Order: sequence, then structure tokens, then C-alpha cells
Amino acid sequence: MASLSLKAPRVFISDRPLPWLLPLILILVVFALYPFFYNIYLSLHEFVPRKRELVFVGVENWANLFQDGRMWGSLWVTLLYTGICLAIQLVLGMVIALLIDSDDPGFGILRGLLTLTLVIPPAITGMMFLLMEDAQFGVITYFLESLGFLTEGSILGSSDTALMGVMLADIWQWTPFMVLIFVAGLRALPPDPFESAMIDGASSWQIFRRLTLPMMSKVIAIAVLIRGIDLFRTFDYVYVMTSGGPGTSTYTLSLYAWQQTFSFIKWGYGATISLFALFVILIAANIFVSLTKTRW
Amino acid sequence: MLLSPTQRVLRAFAAWAVVALFVFPIYYWITVAFKVEREIFSLPPKVFQFTPSWKSFEEVFGVSLGFENGLEVIPGGGNFYMTPRLVDSIVVAFFSTILAVAIAVLAAYALSRMRIKGQHHFVFWILSTRMMPPVAVAIPMFFIYKNFGLLDTHVGIILIHALMNLPLAVLLLKSFFDDIPTEIDEAALIDGASRFLIFRKIVLPMAMGGVAATAVLCFIFSWTEFLFVLTLTQTSLKTVPVVSSTFVTSTGTAWGNMAALGTAAMLPAFVFILLVQKNLVRGLTLGSLKQ
Repeated sequence: MASLSLKAPRVFISDRPLPWLLPLILILVVFALYPFFYNIYLSLHEFVPRKRELVFVGVENWANLFQDGRMWGSLWVTLLYTGICLAIQLVLGMVIALLIDSDDPGFGILRGLLTLTLVIPPAITGMMFLLMEDAQFGVITYFLESLGFLTEGSILGSSDTALMGVMLADIWQWTPFMVLIFVAGLRALPPDPFESAMIDGASSWQIFRRLTLPMMSKVIAIAVLIRGIDLFRTFDYVYVMTSGGPGTSTYTLSLYAWQQTFSFIKWGYGATISLFALFVILIAANIFVSLTKTRW
Repeated sequence: MLLSPTQRVLRAFAAWAVVALFVFPIYYWITVAFKVEREIFSLPPKVFQFTPSWKSFEEVFGVSLGFENGLEVIPGGGNFYMTPRLVDSIVVAFFSTILAVAIAVLAAYALSRMRIKGQHHFVFWILSTRMMPPVAVAIPMFFIYKNFGLLDTHVGIILIHALMNLPLAVLLLKSFFDDIPTEIDEAALIDGASRFLIFRKIVLPMAMGGVAATAVLCFIFSWTEFLFVLTLTQTSLKTVPVVSSTFVTSTGTAWGNMAALGTAAMLPAFVFILLVQKNLVRGLTLGSLKQ
């Protein structure tokens, strides 16, 4: 369509995009590229408290990284957290989207109410769930106990359930994100294929499986990409709810990098872990984008 | 899909029940802000019946709201006096939003209207800065800020929040500019108008709704940000999400005060998000999905 419409010949337009882009490029170089290279510099050094300065250590930090059981443990926790939250938010998001995608009276209000969770600072959400999951006075603990699901101990106090307790906060806050995106996707679907499928007597499940899902694939891919990246970077919830504990059961990669840097004064090693997290996510996101052909 | 009246009633019932489940924690948190300590720590937890009190709000904002007699509140005093922290939050969110939108609006116009070599790669580079784990920026930034004296300053946090919001702002504004037909620009160009004049007098006014939506989202993301403020500030400023964690002390957690501050921080954000409902999905997906 666009290629067919008449346009002014490009020769008349002398475009010099650089002045328009310069402020953006400048701030991205100073605040994104420079820290990136500074991080590489840090990862090749280590702070020696005795000398009170950074000492060049070559690739020692990188060698240590790959032998560090706690690093692999926190990578595993991060992947577990990302995978489980993503799966639950996807399925729950789709189910709720199908449920509230309606023009009946009141449904607009419902969609508006669901957006509220998205603007609460995650650190405060963490506090909310910390109180609600409190071993003694928490309303969620009380509810689970009275249903008989939780017999003793607390959700966040036991290393078996602590990660689930943190995930609950994430799932609560971000499932509506999926719902809103999916509702928008559902509304943009053309009605014709669905009408003919219904005339042909297809069941609701068949329609969902063979029409809705394939036609929503671009929307789902974008939702998975954005949410997946954010889940992998998780820091706020674990920082305020468990600080990685009990034991190391809720250490995410971001929290581990942060603590190595600021709690244990291992500046070089912390930078190394954070770079490792960056590489993992860039590689994963690139593979995902090329496989799903997602485009901006 | 066609539903029978009974099915529609059942559907409405299920939908309200699900949404109630999502609203409940917010409701419960607000009740905590109005509860006195004894009622926060009661068993079974009090969900609906309690005696509302303004005590937590009065302590957090250092004002006497006059709803209760006999309560002495020292203005500007007390450990939980948080009005300055609320001001910090507003200042940081406001100026970082202005900076991000001002830079992004120029870049987005160029990306939407001009032919740029390697545009796809450039856009992907912008997008990839959105993928960086904040910790991978915060750690080097701590040392860089330390060297340049930006640690623990408003300017430092405003700059880093603007950077954080730039990918969103550029891509979102580009999608709003893309909605405006290029024929308008081209007609004006033939009439001899400069690019900047077209941008300022024609395209920008037409995209004002999109600019406002972008600004609101930038404000909210700065308002809720945690890791950069935690890492790059010490004493001279703290935003609300970070200061909330200081309510946890060795003698116990001041849940009522924390909830009062949290409630006060949530309410403006709720109003903002309801203002941008129309463009929310587009914003959440960085401009790639339109409603």
C-alpha cells in the first residue's frame, strides 16, 4: 500500500538525521556503553582491602566464576524463577484474558482495576507479601493453614517454599501485564475466520487451539520476550523479602552480583557476575528474537 | 462467541471473583495503613472489621490530621517522617521524565521520518539497553559516579532514570509518529518548510496525546525504580521504594507506617495509570502492539 502511494521524490529532502539523534547517542554512550566497558575493566581487576586499591588479576575472576558453585546455584534459581513465573503468567494471563474480553457492562472497569497492580513499586509489593506471608500474622499464611495446605513453619522461612513465596508476589503483580496484552491481541483478531469456524461446527477448544493461538503468536512472542527479560533480572522482590535466604534458596544472579560487590567488597567479582548475567540474557533474547522473527 | 444469558451471568461472576483476588492485596495493604499495631498483629487477621486510625499517616507526614484527640505529633520530627523522601521521589521522577522525553522525541522523529543507514541495527541497539540487567549498570555506575562526584545526588539519579526510560520513550514515540501520515511532512517540505519547523509546528502537536502517555509511563517507571536508587544514593536523597525498606528495624517492622507511605505513593500512580488506559498496552510493549 505504502509503496503504491505517490510520494515526493526523495531527492528534494535533504535529511541529516545526526543532529536529531545526537543527544540520544550521547547519553547512550555515556550511560550505557561506558559503564559496559568499565564493567569489563572491573572484571579484570579485584579490590584488595589491604592495599585499598584495585589490582589487575587478568581472567582470574572469570576462571573463578565458572568454578563457583554458588554462582551456578543462583543461575539455576534465576532460571527456575523465570521459567515457572513465565509459564504461570502466560497460562493464567491467557485464561483471564479470555474471561474478561467482553463488552458486557462492567468489564471495562474490571480491566481498569487489573492495571493497578502494574504501578506499585515492586519493592513495596515485596513488603506487602512479606506481611501477608508472615509466619504468625500473615493473612495468606492463615488462609493456607486453615485449608490445611500449610501445617508448620512459614512460607518464606523454609528453603523448600521460600522461592514460591517470592514468586507469588511476582505472579500477582505481573499476570495482569499478560492479561492486558492478550486482551488487546484478542480484540485485534479479525472476526471472519471465527464465524466460519463456528458455522462449520468447530468446538471452542478447536477454535482456540487452531485459530486463536496461531493468530496471537506475535502478541505472545512479544509478551514472553519482555516479561522473560524482566524476570531474569529480578532483584527487588528477593532483596526485600528474603535477601537470598534461607540459605541460598532464593539467590538470583542479580542479587548475588550485587551482594558480592557491596556486601563482600569483591568489586571485580561482582562486576564479572553481572556481565555474565548480561551475556546470558543478550544471547537468549537474540535467539528468541530470530526464532520468532519478532520485529520492532 | 455467543453465550446464553446464564453463561453471561456466570462469566461476569467469575470475572469479578478473579479481579477481586488481584485487588485484595492492595485493599489489605491500605487497611494496614489505617490499623493500629494491635490490629495488624491480630489473629485471625482482620480483613474487614477494624477501627480506622490516621496515626500512621500522621507520623509519616509529620502533620496532625486532627481526627484523633490527644495525639501529639511533632512536625518534622520522628523516625518515620517521610515527607522529604516523597519530595525526592517527585523531583527525580519529574526531571528524569522531562529529560528522557525531550531527548527521545527528537530521536523518534528522525527514526520515524528519515532514512538512516543501519536503522534496524540502531533500533535493536536501543532495545538491547532495555535488556541490560540493572545490576550490570549499577555496579560500574557506582564507581563512575564516585569519581565524578555524582554519587548521592539528585542529578545522578535523574540521569540514570532518564537512561533507563530512553528505550521505552524512543520506541513508543516512534510508534506514535509512525501513525501520522508522512504525506503531511512531504507536502510541507515541498512548500519549503524545514524539518524542524514541520516537527515543531505539525507533527509534535499532532502526537501530543502520545507524548503525554509516554511521559506518564516514564514517570511511573522512575517512581517505582529500586536498584539504582539503592545503589547510587547514601544519605542526601532516597525515593519511596527504597526508604520503605528502612522501616524494618531490629525492634520490629513498622508495618503501619510503611503501609501509610506505600498507600500515599500508590494513589497518584493509580490516577496516572487510569489516565493512559488507551495507550497502556502500546506502552507496555514498547510501541510494538497497538490497541
